[in-house]
Amino acid sequence: MPAGTKNAEPELRRSVTPWGSFSWGYSDVGADIFVGLGLVLAYAAGASNVAFLFAGVVYVCIGLAYTELAATYPVAGGGQYFVMRGLGDIFGFIAGWAVLLDFTIDVTLFAWTSVDYSSQLVPALTNSVHPWLHFGVVLGLVVGLCLLNVIGVRESTTFNGVVSALDVISETCILCFGFLFAFRPQLLVHTMQIHWPSSYDLMLGTSLAIISFVGLESISQAAQETQRPASIIPRTSVSLILTILIFALAYSNLALGLHPWHPITDAAGHPQQFWQIFPNNPDNQGKAVALLAAQVPYYGAFAALYVPVLGAVLLLISSNSGVFGSSRIAYAMSASNLLPSLFARVDRKYRTPVISIVFFSAIAVVELIFAAAPALFPAVSSLYTRFFRGESGLDFLADLYAFGAATSYSFVFLGLIGLRLTDPLSPRKFKIPLNVPMRFRGERVEFPLVAVIGFMGIFAILMFTLFTHPLGRIFGPSWLVLGLLFYLVYRRYRRLPVLRSQPRDWRNAQTEILRRAGELELMDEYLANVKASDARRAGQGT
Amino acid sequence: MLFFRALLAVAMVVCGLVILARMALALPAGGFAILPGVVLGAAMIALGVHRLSLIARVRGML
Repeated sequence: MPAGTKNAEPELRRSVTPWGSFSWGYSDVGADIFVGLGLVLAYAAGASNVAFLFAGVVYVCIGLAYTELAATYPVAGGGQYFVMRGLGDIFGFIAGWAVLLDFTIDVTLFAWTSVDYSSQLVPALTNSVHPWLHFGVVLGLVVGLCLLNVIGVRESTTFNGVVSALDVISETCILCFGFLFAFRPQLLVHTMQIHWPSSYDLMLGTSLAIISFVGLESISQAAQETQRPASIIPRTSVSLILTILIFALAYSNLALGLHPWHPITDAAGHPQQFWQIFPNNPDNQGKAVALLAAQVPYYGAFAALYVPVLGAVLLLISSNSGVFGSSRIAYAMSASNLLPSLFARVDRKYRTPVISIVFFSAIAVVELIFAAAPALFPAVSSLYTRFFRGESGLDFLADLYAFGAATSYSFVFLGLIGLRLTDPLSPRKFKIPLNVPMRFRGERVEFPLVAVIGFMGIFAILMFTLFTHPLGRIFGPSWLVLGLLFYLVYRRYRRLPVLRSQPRDWRNAQTEILRRAGELELMDEYLANVKASDARRAGQGT
Repeated sequence: MLFFRALLAVAMVVCGLVILARMALALPAGGFAILPGVVLGAAMIALGVHRLSLIARVRGML
């Protein structure tokens, strides 16, 4: 619950341990490689590992930025709260609205790929074979998750922890066996040299690679419920960031240099490399990790049986985090007067934000219909081919996912820079490295160079997304424009500042945030900083 | 438990060093292509060192 809400309202219990905090983030971000790997291999081909490297470096900068912000301001609002506090209400709304787009896509995309992974064991669920059945099962999952969230059933932190631990062990085993028995460095170099993609495809692949690193909002959501977040969050976040980066780079390198355990041939019977099964094959793109696991010598015989199940479960947890996360972000935005209070209304019977959950789940269903329409209706398929280069299904969802992530992350970097300049008094137990000391409005501040590098990287990915995704460049900006119009009308109706920010007492809010987090030493340090700053200003005034 | 965790962290650092060494050997033939592998090795070393530093802090060594 963000600062500024009444003391009488119930607070979230701070019961998440360091491992709980790690597994919370891992179940969100760790599932992304299950979706991203196949898509990136399909477009970036021999440069897939370079695409992951570029997106990975940007992701490390984003992760460090979130770690600093979540440790300094441990509230569940996440990106929108940081941006609102650093840049003002309207930018906070844009960042939050982009995050909401990502969460609704998250629901559909991960439910879709969960079914794709299941199709590895149940072929009837293959999208190209039975599109209506595939659509029906995904729709059933989305509606089911919505209902579970409405009645307040959610997977426990223990369940998240067990699934995350199993997945880390499983992925480590796949990579160890893969690198020991099937990886050929010469094949990797050969693939990169012979199958290097065009600049257009490399940009497309890089913009898709960022979807393997989405979900860092969970760091700030976990911060709200973690004991001593300023100490715990940096420890767990750095481990999380590096673990995800290692898996993404390891998988992409292994996929390009993999000598398959079982021979792979094309329709004409010619031998193929492993990564070549992904271009022009959406069915394979949706279950890349399961296909790779099955091609790992020895261990693959066992992995082929359980990885599809583990992947499907992990993806379903991630899909659920979209339903839960969207309602929580909408609640936080509503409490900050960025969205109508309707979205913060809690149902008397179930004690959950029913309106918020149903509204954003309905948007997820609309997105599902747009994604599935070409496979369900041949007439629509020709329309998509004519206007959107035939993008549909996974491509459609991934387009919007990349757009939402790149937009919100861009604003988070700007928010971090803004907060470093306007709020130098808040104690920062963790700071991203490479800072330039300077003075701003009479205060000593540290300008974060990594935030500038990260912003340039994520902005480049946003441009790649707009340039290479015909659907993303139409639907993404349309979502933002519609939201902005809604925001302007709402603020005008409520007689709140439309383009400027609502006046807020950030000093009291920060004291309250640190008190609630149990960071009493930091609260004392903050109050001492404020006092010293005020005394300095009073001295200058006289 | 801490000993087991420390052992895993050391193993991770060793794996990272092995990857870096293999990438360095592939430099003449691979050129730019070894870069993602180099970053992978460096990330593994960084994670191992990070875990070791946390364990050292718990043991009161830092």
